Amino acid sequence: MNGDGGDTLAEFAVMACKAEIRVAGVDEDVARRAIDAAVAEVRRIEVKYSRYRVDSVVSRINAAAGSGQAMEVDEETAGLLDFASSLYRQSGGLFDITSGVLRRAWNFRSGRLPEQAQLDALLPLVGWHLVRWGEASATAPQRAVELRRPGMELDFGGFGKEYAADRAAMLLFDAGIRHGLVNLGGDIRIIGPRPGGASWQLGIQHPRQPEGTIAGVALGGGALATSGDYERYMEVDGRRYCHILDPRSGWPVEYWRSVSVAAPLCLAAGALSTIAMLLRTDAADFLRSQKVAFLAVDAAGEVLHQGL
Amino acid sequence: MAATDPRDSGAATPEATPPERGKVGGVLLAALALPGLGAPAVYADSAPEHATIAYKQLHYQDSQSGLQRIHVDAPSLYLMTPIGANWSLAGSAVLDVVSGASPRYYTSVSGASHMFDRRIAEDAKVTYYRSRSQFSFSASHSKEDDYESNAFAADASFSTEDNNTTFNFGAGASIDTINPVNHIVVDAHKHTREFLAGVTQALDPFDLVQLQLGYSIGNGYYDDPYKLFDNRPGKHDQGTAVLRWNHQFEDWGSTLRTNYRYYRDSNQVHAHTIQLEWVQPLGESFSVSPSLSYYTQSAASFYIDPPNGDQNRFPNIPPGSYSSLDQRVSAFGGITAGGRVDWIISPHWSTNLKGDYHEERAAWRLFGQGSPGLVPFRYVAFEFGLSYRF
Repeated sequence: MNGDGGDTLAEFAVMACKAEIRVAGVDEDVARRAIDAAVAEVRRIEVKYSRYRVDSVVSRINAAAGSGQAMEVDEETAGLLDFASSLYRQSGGLFDITSGVLRRAWNFRSGRLPEQAQLDALLPLVGWHLVRWGEASATAPQRAVELRRPGMELDFGGFGKEYAADRAAMLLFDAGIRHGLVNLGGDIRIIGPRPGGASWQLGIQHPRQPEGTIAGVALGGGALATSGDYERYMEVDGRRYCHILDPRSGWPVEYWRSVSVAAPLCLAAGALSTIAMLLRTDAADFLRSQKVAFLAVDAAGEVLHQGL
Repeated sequence: MAATDPRDSGAATPEATPPERGKVGGVLLAALALPGLGAPAVYADSAPEHATIAYKQLHYQDSQSGLQRIHVDAPSLYLMTPIGANWSLAGSAVLDVVSGASPRYYTSVSGASHMFDRRIAEDAKVTYYRSRSQFSFSASHSKEDDYESNAFAADASFSTEDNNTTFNFGAGASIDTINPVNHIVVDAHKHTREFLAGVTQALDPFDLVQLQLGYSIGNGYYDDPYKLFDNRPGKHDQGTAVLRWNHQFEDWGSTLRTNYRYYRDSNQVHAHTIQLEWVQPLGESFSVSPSLSYYTQSAASFYIDPPNGDQNRFPNIPPGSYSSLDQRVSAFGGITAGGRVDWIISPHWSTNLKGDYHEERAAWRLFGQGSPGLVPFRYVAFEFGLSYRF
């Protein structure tokens, strides 16, 4: 359909989220073809890195955990693993793509907290330092990843959606689209401003009012991503336990209700917002050091923002 | 969150200021380094194709009582490429240039025949990956002036639901054709069938044990056509059992790899090997791995000792009986000390250097006497490897 002002809008579901691609400034058939290719790219990434599909790259790596056998990976996966490794280092070990295994203990639908013993049993399986990555050699020339302990798991869920948003935007740009945006479940990547140069008006979800926004942001380029304690959580004895787990303790973080970050790439914005949630009091200093604009809502509902 | 009108919210609508230009943080730099997210020109419409090419240079030099003996310089090339999501194809080619005397046996002291030989070998392997299993088929071909070999193999492995146990099975066959330059035989053949089964078990997050059993059945021409008195049985069956144990030391990030191998064949050769390797990562891009191994074997039933241990005298061999004076089927023990260094230079380039020193002596045999009259045999081998991924 043609949206207001000649926008072409496609809404679809992907990665268990509502998604939309909005394109302006080109004929609708050009827009449709470009959008179809972008949606296909998002689905390709979903299939390739899904934990739920036994034939995905991630499932294959996880299936070899502890076997002593390193799994060779392609260039795209290698790039994402390098990114994960860099995030681990830069976050002081807080952003860890091996921490997904903790979900075995946390069921946010059950309304029950896990036993400490369950977490203690899983924590030895968490740690990027237990992943052998990048030991390419002449005898094994392709870069390979090895999870050294049986039961370990990698999970690209921490940035898969953001990466897909960036890739989709890249494909649209490549197809000649200069005006539009990609929004995958709230992770937004701008292709370019509205025709005429005006920014897109984006809202930031209110962490306690499902239908409301807490702030509006005008962006003509770059990306905006938000992490919060409201996406998946449960309340037990009046206390909120969200899905963002500290890899050191196995327990959810409690400090920020949500953190939104604007950065040139959605991949960076999403990772930074998650790291900020995990850093608690140090989040603002960290985000400043990363030279990005942000808006954070603390436990009392106070808004702290810089550049946004 | 959807792209909504900010006026929906009663909250503040701060003015957006773009992030400062020219100052980017480490996380953004890391994201920009991804192959699909660099500059707009790079964004092809599908996932980037990739392949790996590797070059290796082997240098081998052996020695016996100070003589300069076989010397091998072998460059090799390896290429690997994926096909679709579940398949891969790998191939390699080796060109050996061998010069010098073939291994010296005590009977051939008087005239170690000069060799200059060239070997060309290629192999290809195709692998199909499933989530808990993988299947591969490989074929190889190798040709020298006097020797041609063709081999095929199929392998499969299966893991249990919890990934703690993996079973593997394999079968292979090879046909070799021997045409020695001295025409002692013409178009002599050797057929081998090989079977393999193994199980790998993770005991806990730090320990892995593996048992591999192999058996091969061989028929055909096994003599060394260039050696006097070399007349071996036309049947050669071999059995092996390998037990491995890998232990990871959590504190140091290092791994100890150990294995014991037992070998027995239809020529009454029994052999034991014990091997230790320590893998020590140093930082993120270096690792150093020293290794040590000990090997001992009994002599083949047809191995003939030199009379009174004097290697300059020929033994008296009844015509028609099996015999060999080849040091490789005598009773001896051997030690190999070596190590390798791996360096990941960049995401695209990596290199390694490997070195081994090996020495064999009759006196080093365990579980019995070594064969008398043998001169210690030594070799050094160096291998340099460089690989590029693109």
